[in-house]
Amino acid sequence: MLLNRRILISALAGAASLIAMPAFAQDKGLIAIITPSHDNPFFKAEAVGAEKRAQELGYETLVLVHDDDPNKQSEMYDTAIARGAKAIILDNAGADASVAPVRRAKEAGIPSFLIDREIKESGIAVSQIVSNNYQGAQLGAEKFVELMGEAGNYVELLGREADTNAGIRSSGYHDIIDQYPDMNMVAQQSANWSQTEAYEKMETILQANPDIQGVISGNDTMAMGAWAALEAAGRTDVILVGFDGSNDVRDSIKKGGIKATVLQPAYRQAQLAVEQADQYLTTGSTGQPEKQLMDCVLIDESNADKLETFALAD
Amino acid sequence: MRNRTIRTTILAASVVCLCGFTIVWDSEKTAGEGAAVAATDETRMAAYAEEAWEPKVMPEIASHVVPLTDLRAAIGSDPDAAGEQYGFPRDGETSPWNFAVSGEGKIVEAKLKSRAAKLQVDTDGDGKGDVTVQLGPIIRGTALRDAMPFIVFTDFRDQIEFAKLANALNAVAHSRLTLPEGDVVGQTARFEGVIALKGDAQSVELVPTQLQIGE
Repeated sequence: MLLNRRILISALAGAASLIAMPAFAQDKGLIAIITPSHDNPFFKAEAVGAEKRAQELGYETLVLVHDDDPNKQSEMYDTAIARGAKAIILDNAGADASVAPVRRAKEAGIPSFLIDREIKESGIAVSQIVSNNYQGAQLGAEKFVELMGEAGNYVELLGREADTNAGIRSSGYHDIIDQYPDMNMVAQQSANWSQTEAYEKMETILQANPDIQGVISGNDTMAMGAWAALEAAGRTDVILVGFDGSNDVRDSIKKGGIKATVLQPAYRQAQLAVEQADQYLTTGSTGQPEKQLMDCVLIDESNADKLETFALAD
Repeated sequence: MRNRTIRTTILAASVVCLCGFTIVWDSEKTAGEGAAVAATDETRMAAYAEEAWEPKVMPEIASHVVPLTDLRAAIGSDPDAAGEQYGFPRDGETSPWNFAVSGEGKIVEAKLKSRAAKLQVDTDGDGKGDVTVQLGPIIRGTALRDAMPFIVFTDFRDQIEFAKLANALNAVAHSRLTLPEGDVVGQTARFEGVIALKGDAQSVELVPTQLQIGE
C-alpha cells in the first residue's frame, strides 16, 4: 500500500498537485512525512506513528523516504510543496543541508515539524522534537562500564558524521567512560548507522584487536551488524551496548546476546510532532518552544519484555 | 661576524620554536575538528554558567525549594499535581519534572575517592540511602540545566552545545561545594539542590547547590 502510493506519486510527480486522490482525501488536507530509509526499523516506526496519528486527526498522508540523501530530500520537499501539503513531518538528511528545504517550505507557507534530528538553525521549523541523546548516551555508557567491571579494552562504533546525533552520543559515552582509567578504547570507527558496514568494520577491528571485551555502538542497527560479526567469530563473550531500543536488539537482549540499549521514544515522538502540527494548523501555535528534548530510557534484561516498536509499556 | 653568529642562533632558535609549534598544532588537528569545536563550546558554556549562577540560577532555586519529605508526600498522590505545585515549569510531556529540594539525613555510604564522588543519605530513617548526593567533579545528568526556566534549548545551536551547558552548570555547582573529607559515614548531611523526577522520588539523585556536614 505504502509502496503503491509511492510509485503512484513519483509517476505523477509534477502533475500530482492537480490530481485529486479521493481514496485518501479527508477534510483537513495533506501531511507529508519524510524520513530516512525504512530499512532501519527506527525510521519505519516514526513513519508509521506519524501516519497513524495524522489519519486519526483527519489528514491525508504522503509518506516519503530520502535515504539520507539531501538531494532526494530536497526533491521531496518540492513534491510536498507542489502537492500543497499543510505540514511536513521530517526526520532530516543532514543538519546543514536540511536548512534550505525547510526554509523553502516555510516561505511557501508550509510549516515543518522535525523529529529525531536537529537542523543547525532555529526559527525556520515550527518544532524540533529530539531525543535527549546526551542523557541517553550517559545511561548507556554507565551500564556499559558496569557490565565491563569498569575495566577492559573496548571499541566504539560511531554514526554518520553529518548527523548531530552521532557526535552527541559519542560525547555522552565518553563523558562517562573516560572517567574510568582502566577503560581503554582500542578502536573508534564510523559505520554510518549501517548494519552491513558495522559487520565489515567489526570483522576488521576484531582481526587487529582480538583482545577486546566490549563494544559500544551509536545505534542499534550497527549493534546488530557488530553482533553478527562477533557471533561469526565465536566472540559472544564480548559485551555490546546499543542505542535506539529496536525490537531486534530487544530480542537479542532476551536471548542473552546484546546486553543493553537505550530507548528513544520514536513512536511517541512522531505522534507528538503530528499533534503539534495539528495544533499549529488549528490555533496558530503549538504552545511549545521550538526545540524540545525527550528523555531516553535504559533497556536491559530487566525491562526488555515491555519494549515494543520503540515504546515502553507501563 | 659576531652579529651574524647571534643572528644565526636566533634564527635557529626560532626554527626550533616553529617546529615545536607546528607539531603541537598538528597533533591537535589529528584529534579531529569535532574536538576543536567542542573546546570552544565548552569555554563559552563555562562562561555562560559562571555568569548566570549568582544572579539567575541561585534565585530560581531559592524560589522553588521544597522540603524533600513534603515533595515525596505530594508525588505519592499525584506526580503531575506535585509538579505543578512545586516543580520548575516544564515544556510538557517531553521532559521530566525538575524540583529544587532541601533535606537532611544520615550519611550511610560515602564514595569520596572517585571522579564521580557520591554520598548516600538516609532521609527517612530506615537505614538505607534514599538520596544520592553527587559531589563530582563529574556530576551526571542535565537536571540543573533543564530546571532553569530562563535556559531554552531553542536558543542554543544544537544538542552538543546544550550538553556542554549542562556540564558547565554542574561544574559550577561542584566548584561551590565544600567537599567532605575523611570518614563521614554516620554524620548528618544537610543539602539543597536540584533533582529530576523519576518514578515516585523515593530514591533521588541530587545535584547539590548547598551541602553541610556535621555531627
